[in-house]
Amino acid sequence: MGISELLSTYGGDYLSALVTTWWMTAVSFAFVMVLSVAITVMRVSPLKPLRLAGDFYVQVFRNIPGVALLVIVVYALPNLRVVLDYTTCVIVTTVLMASAFGSENFMSGINTIGVGQIEAARSLGLTFTQIISKIVIPQALRSAVLPMTNLLIAVMLTTALGSQVPMNPEELTGIVSYINTRSTGGVLAFLIAALGYVGTAAVISLVGNRLDKKVRILR
Amino acid sequence: MTSDRTGDVPVIELRHVDKHFGDLHVLRDINLAVARGEVLVVIGPSGSGKSTLCRTINRLETIDSGEVLIEGKPLPLEGRELAAMRAELGMVFQSFNLFAHKTILENVTLGPVDVLGMDKAEARARAMELLERVGVAEQADKVPAQLSGGQQQRVAIARSLAMHPKAMLFDEPTSALDPEMINEVLDVMVELARGGMTMVVVTHEMSFARRVADRVVFMADGQIVEEGAPDAFFDHPRTQRARDFLDSIRGH
Repeated sequence: MGISELLSTYGGDYLSALVTTWWMTAVSFAFVMVLSVAITVMRVSPLKPLRLAGDFYVQVFRNIPGVALLVIVVYALPNLRVVLDYTTCVIVTTVLMASAFGSENFMSGINTIGVGQIEAARSLGLTFTQIISKIVIPQALRSAVLPMTNLLIAVMLTTALGSQVPMNPEELTGIVSYINTRSTGGVLAFLIAALGYVGTAAVISLVGNRLDKKVRILR
Repeated sequence: MTSDRTGDVPVIELRHVDKHFGDLHVLRDINLAVARGEVLVVIGPSGSGKSTLCRTINRLETIDSGEVLIEGKPLPLEGRELAAMRAELGMVFQSFNLFAHKTILENVTLGPVDVLGMDKAEARARAMELLERVGVAEQADKVPAQLSGGQQQRVAIARSLAMHPKAMLFDEPTSALDPEMINEVLDVMVELARGGMTMVVVTHEMSFARRVADRVVFMADGQIVEEGAPDAFFDHPRTQRARDFLDSIRGH
């Protein structure tokens, strides 16, 4: 099958797969940001058990292969009477993994702040919660734009785990498997999907770079 | 001591304060009282514990034993009570420590709005007055990195003053400044001292100490070795340690 034939036969499927990848990426990334902030706050909190739990989370989920984690989510959670549909399983897996990396991005953002500003905030009488919300998180967010841009792209690529479970509609990698089991698209079928990933990543980088220039903190 | 004369409770009092950093005994049985309106200058060689002393007053450094009292009340150990007490003590650091992501004006309004619950418009108006007073009002909308060190330090002073502190702590406020910027900061501090602010100043600026200090405390090896009126101390130090130190910073 040539490109034109692939597109004329499966063009609609590719399009809906691209849209599926997009929304899964967006939803996952929103949760990643929230969970990353929460874990990072735990890791800098004055309570040692919270710090240990946060560090433990990062060590665990940064070091599990995505597919292995997906298998755990799909097959183990039902034993805890949590039955999720396959799309949700993929999103949960993506969020759990990416949040570990997201927290690391925030931690390096926090490390650029310097203990002096924290001491100044303490000496003004700000509470721990105020220091985190007014001083630490705003600066960590603003200095983490570029690494978070990379993470967003990684999140998009991780949603390709959807190809390992039955999904309807399929996402961008899943649709290639679907096509290649019915026709002989071969590498070309992958190439079309790859264009979808690359194009999206290019837009994400562009926006990320612009945003970084806008919000970067002068030091 | 002024407090004895007036019978007032000291604004700041340290009783038998001891602190170790590991094996290093950085504060040894420190006893010190600062009366209302008094300007106390702490000097001493590096590593003598003078910065640590300054930082124990608002508990940026914890202590191993002894007591820190603010207006006769023990400094709370943690939590909201400690935060509330810190809000009543201004602190100016060697490295300015302005909030890098906020404008100059926001740096000054943050404390009044978020800690004291002041109305935003009122906080802005008061902050502009203070920035005017320290001579950086025209920089109000810039961010800290766009200002010189001297300007940043004056903003830091304004930020502390905005909280209406009972006392101000200065931890080597001019040590990170280029020489030509030291005086603009010292001038603001002199004005503050003349206005009756209670101040603890860790510094090597002898001219400042002579002009405004009520008392000079000389520290070495974590101990208060000598204290007295500035002229008496600088002209006739009683201890050999103080004489050696003064010789070394005067450069003969």
